[in-house]
Amino acid sequence: MKRVMLALALAASSWMAAAQPDIHIENAWVREAPPTARMLAAYLTLKNPGDQDRVLVKVQSPAFSHIMLHKSEVVDGVARMVHLDEIAIPAGGSVQLEPGGLHLMMPAPEVRLSAGDRVPLVLIFADGNRIEVQADVRKKP
Amino acid sequence: MPKAERTPFSLPVLLIIPALLGALLLTGCSPPEPPALRQATLLPSPKPVADFQLTDQAGRPFNLDQLKGRWTLAFFGYTHCPDVCPTSMAMLAQVQRQLEQDPNVAQLPQVVFFSVDPERDTPELLASFVPYFHDSFIGVTGDPNEILKLTRQLGIIYGKTGGSGADDYLVDHSAAIILFDPAGSFHALFNVPHKPELIASDFLAIRDYYEATQ
Repeated sequence: MKRVMLALALAASSWMAAAQPDIHIENAWVREAPPTARMLAAYLTLKNPGDQDRVLVKVQSPAFSHIMLHKSEVVDGVARMVHLDEIAIPAGGSVQLEPGGLHLMMPAPEVRLSAGDRVPLVLIFADGNRIEVQADVRKKP
Repeated sequence: MPKAERTPFSLPVLLIIPALLGALLLTGCSPPEPPALRQATLLPSPKPVADFQLTDQAGRPFNLDQLKGRWTLAFFGYTHCPDVCPTSMAMLAQVQRQLEQDPNVAQLPQVVFFSVDPERDTPELLASFVPYFHDSFIGVTGDPNEILKLTRQLGIIYGKTGGSGADDYLVDHSAAIILFDPAGSFHALFNVPHKPELIASDFLAIRDYYEATQ
């Protein structure tokens, strides 16, 4: 009976995976910041190969006390940051978090991150899915 | 039969010579054409700036005198800004590196980061912020009223927003980069999106035109 249950569970999970392929996370990186920087920004690309929209609602990391979803925008020549509750990734589409646009913002940890370091990021979606990625710390021009 | 009078030159040639002379005189005396710019907006005429009293990252006075005698690229931001400001400063470092390699640049422009968050941006904080991007960069902060005195003359605006505590807020701020000429006048501005290669080439075009017309 246990075997049957296990087989069923496996079949169900593989069916679920086929129905809802995972979001692909690419090019996750944290911008190396000046030594006294209090805030850091991270960037990545989310690709949704599925046929349903997916919604990123939270990002966590043991490296940071908290992480916020943010968007920089320039309106009438004025740069401002907007706090977001979620970031939707349309079915079959992709969303790029990049400098000057969507980004993750977090307080800098006590021990400074330098280029070459790697930090884990756990992305949590509205459907409960969690994806962990390693983000490279990079010094970018 | 009277001898026909002959001139050594035909009539069309006689007309062309003064025309050529005139054209030569005109090109020799009229100023060169204003440069074709790809990113910069040139002010119709440079706007003189009234003095202001601020402080650089080493604690030295930074006022109008520090804007005179060389070109200045200025950015207005705050060090707690994790996305736009580091991106703009890194972009300005690219401009500076490109100009450093240009044999036509005898004197580099100075790049100045003016804080629009003087309450949190102390000279000490700026001392670790600006040189991170380029060791020649200057950071300036000081009395909020003195910062306003300068920014008001440039059309630069900013204001606190969001945040939950006294020390936890964001600052909205103009994203433009301001170019001051060696007279210390507001000469041009670069609006977003900033492209370092266009800023460098426009800067050189503006500088060459300025020098040719002085």
